[in-house]
Amino acid sequence: MAFVPPVRHLLRAKDLADRRYADAIAVDDLARVAGLSRAHFSREFRRAFGESPHAYLLTRRLERAAALLRTTDRTVAEICFAVGLASVGSFTSSFTRAFGLSPTRYRAAFPPARAHAFVPACVWRAYGRPQHSTNGEDGGPAPA
Amino acid sequence: MIRIATAQIWVHDQEEALAFYTQKLGFEVRADVTLPELGDFRWLTVGPPGQEDVSVVLMAIPGPPVMDAETAEQVRTLMGKGFAGTVFLTTDDCRASYEELRARGVEFTETPEERPYGIDAGFRDPSGNTFRLTQLAEELVSA
Repeated sequence: MAFVPPVRHLLRAKDLADRRYADAIAVDDLARVAGLSRAHFSREFRRAFGESPHAYLLTRRLERAAALLRTTDRTVAEICFAVGLASVGSFTSSFTRAFGLSPTRYRAAFPPARAHAFVPACVWRAYGRPQHSTNGEDGGPAPA
Repeated sequence: MIRIATAQIWVHDQEEALAFYTQKLGFEVRADVTLPELGDFRWLTVGPPGQEDVSVVLMAIPGPPVMDAETAEQVRTLMGKGFAGTVFLTTDDCRASYEELRARGVEFTETPEERPYGIDAGFRDPSGNTFRLTQLAEELVSA
């Protein structure tokens, strides 16, 4: 069997953070994928990637949360849960520390999500058309 | 230059589709905007991480006046039969992607098999839309 460099196991853990940030995963899960004890894993991860696995997982989640704040109109709480965090309070403080603005103010600093969403003209035409109501004025049958 | 930006597929239920596309397929939400002035029309798009300029709209089947009830029923029927649309995905390792998606609960209709063009597998989303997951043969990738 080919020799697998030890850092490959750390990368596997990092990939798991990128892929599964939306689930309630934690550093223990990353350590398990790498096949290392938690303390050893944290040390090795930091040596390989320059930051702790906890910091990596958290900033991955915060990056996704920032994107959702810019591109969706979901509430801050919904976004917090959508990126795998369980406490809105800690999410808000982590986010504020990372971006210098609270989630709400961060969102307000960008154009509203609908400006990004490019809801196309065909949708506006089709969905903006009111339901026709016939009151006899166009010669159609009047409602009973 | 003309490029494909977004393609649409019908879904039975947007919440169910969202959970499937993000949690099982591993796509990212690109836009999720509800417009009250369009009768709460929800523009919901997802796409694969790393391919930022392509997305899929997960479109709910509308009622009147956008679509009459009979047509909506026809679309629902076609979707349930698996004839409403197909998304063709590529991957650099079909068997690995198959194992990964299966572990996350994606139900495959076809396991990975060698084809003249590479290796591919097939699955469906909860609405019945068809997906193919293809690892192109090396001579096709470099072509």
